[in-house]
Amino acid sequence: MSATQQYLLLLGLMLGTVGVVLCLYGLARSMGPTHGEPGKDVPASAGVLSRDPVWGRYHARYYGYALLFLAFDMEMAYMYPWAVVYKQEGLVALLDMGVFLAILFLGLLYGWSQGALRRQ
Amino acid sequence: MTIAGARKGRPSIVQRLVGRAQARNLSCLIVPGPEVALAHGLDLAAAGMRIAATPRDAAVLVVIGALSRKLDEATAVLYAQMPRPRAVLVLGGPTPSSLPPADVSTDLSQAELIEATGRLQQALAEGAFTASPEDFDASVLQARIEYVCPMHPEVVEDEPGRCPKCGMDLVAREAGAESGATEGMSEHDHNHHHEHHQGHDHNHHDHDHDDGHQQGHAHEHARTEYVCPMHPQVVQDEPGSCPKCGMDLVARVVGADEGAAEMPLKHGDHHDHEHHEHERHQGHDHEHHHEHGQHKHDHGGHDHSGHDHGASGFMSMVEVTKDLPRSADGLAMDWIKVPFGPVFPGLPGGLRLTLTLDGDGVAEGQATSLVGMSAVTEEGAAETFVERLATAMALAPVSYRLLACRAIEQAAGLKEDPATARARACALERERIASHLGWLAQLGRQLSFVWLMRRATTLQLKTRCANREQLVAMRPALWALNVRLELTPLLKARLKGIGALPGGSHDFRGPVARAAGSAEDVRQADTIYRELGFEIRTGTTGGDAWGRLQQRLMEIMASLDLIEAGVDPGMPTLRDIGSTSGISEASVETPRGRAALRLTLEHGQVVSVELDTACSHHIGLVANLVEGRELGDALVAVGSLDLSPWEVIS
Amino acid sequence: MTIAAVLLALMVSAWLLAVIEAWLSTGRLRPVAPLLAGLSHLGRESLLPRKPDRLFFETAPVLLLVVAVLGAAVLPLAPGLVIADLATGALFVNAALAYVLVALIMAGWGPNGAYAMVGGWRFLGQLIAYAMLIVMPITAVAMRAESLLNTAIVASQASLWNIVYQPLGFVLFFIAAMALAFRAPFDLPTAPGELAGGVDAEYTGMRLAVLRLARLVLVITLATATTVFYLGGWHGPLLPPWAWSLIKTLTVAVSMLLAGHYLPRIREADLLSWCWKLGIPLALLNILIVGLMILVVP
Repeated sequence: MSATQQYLLLLGLMLGTVGVVLCLYGLARSMGPTHGEPGKDVPASAGVLSRDPVWGRYHARYYGYALLFLAFDMEMAYMYPWAVVYKQEGLVALLDMGVFLAILFLGLLYGWSQGALRRQ
Repeated sequence: MTIAGARKGRPSIVQRLVGRAQARNLSCLIVPGPEVALAHGLDLAAAGMRIAATPRDAAVLVVIGALSRKLDEATAVLYAQMPRPRAVLVLGGPTPSSLPPADVSTDLSQAELIEATGRLQQALAEGAFTASPEDFDASVLQARIEYVCPMHPEVVEDEPGRCPKCGMDLVAREAGAESGATEGMSEHDHNHHHEHHQGHDHNHHDHDHDDGHQQGHAHEHARTEYVCPMHPQVVQDEPGSCPKCGMDLVARVVGADEGAAEMPLKHGDHHDHEHHEHERHQGHDHEHHHEHGQHKHDHGGHDHSGHDHGASGFMSMVEVTKDLPRSADGLAMDWIKVPFGPVFPGLPGGLRLTLTLDGDGVAEGQATSLVGMSAVTEEGAAETFVERLATAMALAPVSYRLLACRAIEQAAGLKEDPATARARACALERERIASHLGWLAQLGRQLSFVWLMRRATTLQLKTRCANREQLVAMRPALWALNVRLELTPLLKARLKGIGALPGGSHDFRGPVARAAGSAEDVRQADTIYRELGFEIRTGTTGGDAWGRLQQRLMEIMASLDLIEAGVDPGMPTLRDIGSTSGISEASVETPRGRAALRLTLEHGQVVSVELDTACSHHIGLVANLVEGRELGDALVAVGSLDLSPWEVIS
Repeated sequence: MTIAAVLLALMVSAWLLAVIEAWLSTGRLRPVAPLLAGLSHLGRESLLPRKPDRLFFETAPVLLLVVAVLGAAVLPLAPGLVIADLATGALFVNAALAYVLVALIMAGWGPNGAYAMVGGWRFLGQLIAYAMLIVMPITAVAMRAESLLNTAIVASQASLWNIVYQPLGFVLFFIAAMALAFRAPFDLPTAPGELAGGVDAEYTGMRLAVLRLARLVLVITLATATTVFYLGGWHGPLLPPWAWSLIKTLTVAVSMLLAGHYLPRIREADLLSWCWKLGIPLALLNILIVGLMILVVP
């Protein structure tokens, strides 16, 4: 199987799954209509009707970690191809990536020392 | 036969099949809460029901005992939010007035419950679908509709009609949902709202603001202040540079009602969009609805979909966020007020905790009890008073029965009989074990620690009615639980340092006080307890949630020691007091701490009582314990107090 | 044929897992429990909350199911028994499962309810904690196999399973996989005792059924991934290869459930700080150790 065929197969699987779910929804709909009643569509909050909208500026208190995460996630994109050729390249690959990772790790330590690694 | 919450649909073969499947797969929401069911000795899991966390996931609403008026309203909300088909099972009380008639009702006993579950299953299997179900409605579910003028947001009327200012037709909107929810407004989030007005102001500062804009807005006295573009919390009256970053401060104009805008709680309450560009009409207060109307009116071509205008103007972030509350780290975010309870899986039922959330942190919170006993109790015969007090305190009936008996007998001048007193003390200690186990089960429920929840529940149900011999036989099991919890990974990390008592605190009682090292226990002064070898034990690990866990585990073992040294537990019953009169003050160390009762007896009738309980004092701690904590930590802190909302005297 | 067999295996595992889950929480072993639950959901109303983000609300359960199935599609159960043996298979698993975050944020934002929204954003914090502990151990696995082909990864373990070759990587990956599956003790986004269902809170009826199914499939996918990366995949004596895959997968999945049964929920702050202060240094150490072993032991 060529790579294109494989991806087409995965696309087909994806569409198939969506299709199955839609069939299930159709089946559920055939059971009867939903009865609209007062208060029913208000998001459930433990016995208190709270109609206030909640969308807004959310305080993500892990933003210190999130910034470091970006750096590490980028780095991982390079590590996969490196991992595949690692054995072939031998010690050179280890040193190359070792230097890169050491710098990145120092960054982690620096962020840690500056208090980035805590809930703000 | 159909159920009141049947689903609309033609009852055909498929529907019947589905109904039968639903009957064999029941999930229930318990009002007031699962801990109340367990305190009554009811095991809904053993009756074949799964306990759901939310009304959305429940098919059966189980109501236990009589509900207070406020809890009755909450029950109506919960019932309305359950998807159909839904059924109501009422145990040991009247059907709440706001609900439709109960599908099945029965008494408070496990055997009756199992039998009732069978009937309920049959009702569901047959009547889950009906061609014409009845609507459910209750007054608490109605949103008040008010009418506002699209041009003059200050015009709010209860009736439809025309605006007295401009004659336009008023538009309906729901009261209580000030922003975003307004009908006739496109739905976008607040963020967009802000940016969008922002953009409006920036784009049109040189526009001629027409009459509609000018009229009805008092030109209030204004002053100029200077803020740092990077640190919005830096505000000065004079120009200069920021003490934090050294940048030049930027001028902005403040309206006379700034004071009101300084205390925002809910976004959307205040949107006075002052800008430096607006200096031509200084201190101009725009309400955002008004702005919106303007916007549509003048600039129909403008894109509503909330693209980011932030880049188009200098100081935009400062402007956008300047009315929002500040967190400890200086960031301005929307705070939302979220109710946790009265029927919330991680908290005792009947307790309403309202938290103002800043992200997943708690900015502030307070707790109220919806089921608390009122301070004034009507007079009545002594026996009825004992019964009433014991029934009212759903989570510690034996303790309050004992308290009432003791107070009345003392008032009547009866001497304590040592044999009865011993049996009573043992009953109290047995309830203490059961109550602490109930708390452990609640902790397990809160932390999704299924093993603890099931283990503690099993032990609690076994303890409730056990005699001395059976209790003593449970020692290895209780000890094993003790050891197990000490060794559970993550548990200590979860509880340590959470909910520590504030410094200089006083008047706390029971395990909460003892865990913090204070020797607060009325059993100390009791001769019966001294004979049984009671000695007070206080915690050494500090008054946090972990300390309270250890204290309660220790007290379980201590109570077991007392029972082993004592006799078979005997339920307190009121002795014959005749038609005596007197005044007395008695106290009992309930599982949650000292409760004191002052009582006046006249000719065998109770004429006045004054009750003082531990939970009335502890509930005031909540605001302090939750402030500034992460949401999960805040809930653990509240849970660790073991509040019983019934024992909060209002 | 292969597709049908793989999907069948996936469904059977999900079924068994559902039965075991119900057994753990109720103490009763009922093989029909998943069927009854599915039929019940079919007959219940599927409510739409007021003023929702309809697109997000509807997409989330489907997306979660799709990514779980796609992840499983590139994992081999036996030689030849794989839907698509991609050249970048190990990376693809990781990429597909990154969408779990997207699905949960959608499910959190969609219904415009406070519990759901907090749950959704909490999971973003959880991703920041676990994500590195998924990718770094996989890198070490790929180093040994010299390939990202999942079949090659299994083949590389013919002599020695990775759980022995790189035990540190296995422990980190296993914990991170539990966090990715958001089961207890990492159920921060759904947390029944803290958020009354969180991201699940507003789903009812068939939508809830799809969401629950997706979560089961997700656990199975992650358990299969653990099997392929660390437990030698289909390798094993006597039994046919597919049977070994199933046994190992179910063992891993059940141990994930059991861990949640016996542990309290972790604090978000602790999860983040342990993952970054302990987990990531250990994961880097794992890569270094594996790198040296590959160079030293030919």
